[in-house]
Amino acid sequence: MAKTVLVVDDSASIRQVVAITLKGAGFDVIEACDGRDALAKLNGQRVHLMISDVNMPNMDGITFLKEVKARPEYKFTPVIMLTTESAEEKKAAGQAAGAKAWMVKPFQPAQMLAAVNKLVMP
Amino acid sequence: MNLDQAFNTFLEESRELLADLERYLLELEADPNDSELLNALFRCVHTVKGAAGIFALDHVVAFTHVVENVLDRLRAGTLGLDAELAALLLKCRDHIDALIERPSADQLDEPLRASDAALLAALAQYQEGGEAAAAPVPVQAAAPKVEVSGGGVVGGDTWHISLRFAREVLAHGMDPISFIRYLGQLGELRYVTTLSDALPAGDDFDPESCYLGFEIELYSEADKATIEGVFDFVRELCQLRILPPRSRLSEYMQLIRELPEGPQRLGEILVASGALTEAELAEGLRLQQEQRQREDAAKQPIGEVLVAQGVVQPELVSAALSKQKQSRERQAQASRYLRVQADKLDRLINLVGELVIASASVGLNAAKSGDADTQEAAAAMSLLVEEIRDSTLQLRMVPIGETFSRYQRVVRDVAAELGKDIALVISGADTELDKSVVEKISEPLTHLVRNACDHGIESAERRLELGKPAQGTVRLNAYHESGAIVIEVSDDGGGLNAARIRAKALERGLIRPDQTLSEQEIFQLVFEPGFSTAATVTNLSGRGVGMDVVKRSIEALRGTVELLSSPGQGTTCRIRLPLTLAIIDGFLCRVGDASYVVPLEMVVECIEFSASETEGRDIINLRGEVLPFVRLRDYFGVDGAVGRRQNIIVVQYAGQKAGLVVDELLGEHQTVIKPLGPLFAYLKGISGSTILGNGQVALIVDVPALIGRLTQHDDALAGRRLPRTGAAAALPAPVAHH
Repeated sequence: MAKTVLVVDDSASIRQVVAITLKGAGFDVIEACDGRDALAKLNGQRVHLMISDVNMPNMDGITFLKEVKARPEYKFTPVIMLTTESAEEKKAAGQAAGAKAWMVKPFQPAQMLAAVNKLVMP
Repeated sequence: MNLDQAFNTFLEESRELLADLERYLLELEADPNDSELLNALFRCVHTVKGAAGIFALDHVVAFTHVVENVLDRLRAGTLGLDAELAALLLKCRDHIDALIERPSADQLDEPLRASDAALLAALAQYQEGGEAAAAPVPVQAAAPKVEVSGGGVVGGDTWHISLRFAREVLAHGMDPISFIRYLGQLGELRYVTTLSDALPAGDDFDPESCYLGFEIELYSEADKATIEGVFDFVRELCQLRILPPRSRLSEYMQLIRELPEGPQRLGEILVASGALTEAELAEGLRLQQEQRQREDAAKQPIGEVLVAQGVVQPELVSAALSKQKQSRERQAQASRYLRVQADKLDRLINLVGELVIASASVGLNAAKSGDADTQEAAAAMSLLVEEIRDSTLQLRMVPIGETFSRYQRVVRDVAAELGKDIALVISGADTELDKSVVEKISEPLTHLVRNACDHGIESAERRLELGKPAQGTVRLNAYHESGAIVIEVSDDGGGLNAARIRAKALERGLIRPDQTLSEQEIFQLVFEPGFSTAATVTNLSGRGVGMDVVKRSIEALRGTVELLSSPGQGTTCRIRLPLTLAIIDGFLCRVGDASYVVPLEMVVECIEFSASETEGRDIINLRGEVLPFVRLRDYFGVDGAVGRRQNIIVVQYAGQKAGLVVDELLGEHQTVIKPLGPLFAYLKGISGSTILGNGQVALIVDVPALIGRLTQHDDALAGRRLPRTGAAAALPAPVAHH
């Protein structure tokens, strides 16, 4: 059974490209446009990896991370946070919330896939 | 769904965001401090930038990055939004709108480029501290090209990776196995050994903790940084040691050796070569720091720390250390030397010469005054002046090594031309001599080296027949010997054939058949003009302009040259040169009112001259030897009556003796040679001048020229008188070498 990746980003085009890339590599993808949407779509279903933007409307990435890590079923799910290169304080907040993996935007699809593969193989 | 569709989504999305941006900006003008609005504004640009990045629209990314920076400052409150900035941001919005439709920067038309530049310039004013609009840096390097061998290759050429995961790695959602699996994509995992020794007993076992360690053998063409990059996400959650394969060691060492030289630290050298990663170095430095704080003991060198950490092989550390040492030495050497213009040095030496003269004058006057204190002061000064003189002359001294090493090429070329195998061995390269002598000696040395290769060394076949190694050896050696420098050019060839040289000299009329000559004297005949023993004239040497030219150039440097040879063992040409050309020890004498200096090294003895012994000819009998002499009074046309007592200074040069008749002997005198002006270039018998302590000018007698003149003269005389005087009067009288 294919592994599932949750992609949270307010940019539809980024979500699409990430989804295309991951699906091409053999993953199943769940898309969400912000933290609140993501929590709603997860709804207890199993995912193997989450990729989340930080800066989003409604619920930002850090809040989403705290929320999702508080739920036992996602405690051990790896999360890649997407950030801009200048957001050191964001990174610190994210680390406190339990994110170890960061990717700096903008990135190319191949780079993103490589990062994902370090954590999960399809 | 495909990427084209995604791109359309991007355009649509971006337009929406840009429309929002416009709206937010206008709303903000009404309420510039609304943080919600500011956040939304920032997010618009941020999202466009992120999305543009994924579609590789670098020009959009570059521009939006700058806008984003300005908006970030607005958001942070370090910048206030005024009408001007709002107008600028609106223009930027329009510009971004135009940019996103162009797939690449190449397709920007001129007006668009111009507005790009103008807007960036305008935005620059609002950038923090003139922060450059740096293009964003992607964190992930492109996946490396991986070449996987067909397998079955013996281990030992693999990367060795030691991994110890932290307990909490699982809690962070990291699956250790996923990294190892990914590592496998970089190459081929030969062995993965799982270490379970940290596993606790059943009761203590926490299923949410990771207790495992791994030892991995990876065959991969990837570099160390790439391999380390695999563990980026768990860098803080594991201990990682990456050791390169053996085959990489030499590669790294090569890299280390080839690194440009600079003030590098050991760690920097290792990182630059790729043997160590930045992270490993940082960790090593941290440990070193910790260690130093913990124990007051001497700090462990970083190289040892890194080796103890197991992140780098000791071989690489020592290679880097020697590189570092080499760099430092080169630098130290560069800073130890001072480049000085030769003119300045010459002027200094000239001044020191004057100082020596002035000091002599002071000494003279002090002696005359009879005042003990003055004399003592003068003596002390004279000692210092001598020291200054010696140190100053030392400044001109250069090692001969550089000149010597030039002959490597000469020997190689000559050997190639002759089809011989010849090695040049250099010793005494550190021996120093005056720069001007070095320059002048190189020509004659070239000739001698060529000669040694050509005439000295036999062909390889001949050498083998004689039981010598096929490769001939030419040696260049230099050493100091009692105030002179000796340079030797030797070969391990056949040696000189005295009989052949004698025969040749006879044939050329250089000697008479009845002359008895020692072997040594026969060898010296080689230096006679027009002498050449090579049976066939080769391209390289033996065109008749051989050894006599060498001899003359060396004599011009006030040097001597002699040949030593033993049959079958080889030949040595020994050149003896004065250390410097500027100052000589002279022998002062007086003729009439004039003073003359004879270079002391050529003076053999002084005897009283009595005109009665001369039998009316300009020769005397010196203990059975015939000694021709020249009256300096007549020779230089000095006025005044001949003194009651006259003396002969017996001088010797190049194996020939002669006498110089002078009025008075004044003893040894240290002389600073002042060259004669061009006006006196044709003056015979004088090689220079000097100034005495009393201010008088003394001329330096050119002994070689005088002897040459006498010899020619006497040869002619001897030729005429031979039948009468017999062999005893044969001139020049052979003299044994001292």
